[in-house]
Amino acid sequence: MHIVKQLMAIPGVIAAGEYAYRGDRFSYEGALTEEFARMASIVCRANTLSVNMQAEIFDSFAENCGYRPIQGWIARGSQITVCAVGNYFSFIENRDELLNDVMTIMRAKVGDVQDDLLVNLYARLGGDTKEALY
Amino acid sequence: MDLEKMMELPGALAAFTYSDKGDLQSHVLREGTELTPLVLDLLARSCVANLAIASMEGHGWEALTGQSGFQPLKGFSVVGLEWSVVVNGNCGVVVKNRDADYEATFNAVQAT
Repeated sequence: MHIVKQLMAIPGVIAAGEYAYRGDRFSYEGALTEEFARMASIVCRANTLSVNMQAEIFDSFAENCGYRPIQGWIARGSQITVCAVGNYFSFIENRDELLNDVMTIMRAKVGDVQDDLLVNLYARLGGDTKEALY
Repeated sequence: MDLEKMMELPGALAAFTYSDKGDLQSHVLREGTELTPLVLDLLARSCVANLAIASMEGHGWEALTGQSGFQPLKGFSVVGLEWSVVVNGNCGVVVKNRDADYEATFNAVQAT
């Protein structure tokens, strides 16, 4: 089953989606409008690149310390949590054990994000990754 | 703030506190971990930045969409290859991914 559909089958998951590296191509399911899903994709893409930049700085001080490559991030709000793994995101309610379940599924289904984030994210779109990047 | 208690969280490798600017103030490291005080110091600084950015995004999202539930921010976590850092306020915990209980860890840093 597709990751987004699998996430949406869990009670408490508000919305889930997948975005391209630029954040301008995306697909989603759940309680978001098309415009809000576009905004969510851009926010998730920006945060993912930001934490990857931070990890690269860490790497220059402590090589192979187990931080890089970054797999994702979680922003915990008062009632809603945003989870991002690779180029997938989900908005979930703050319910008991839901966050652990969602993270387990996202990590297992997306798999380990590879060393080169840009290539990795473009590769999921298909086509010529190198041409798209360079 | 009881860092030793934080170290009882599943998979905990380190617990630390930091100032509002991100200066590392106190820390506990699990014996045998490859983490160092220097890494924790850098981590603390990036965590302060990430919390501020996530808070700004939460505010913006609520204002633009009318959807509530993001504010106040209750924490932020970055998931690395082998470990994750979970932070809120002036406290953070590093947990091994394979043992991590994100729910419990977020609750622990919120309680501080």
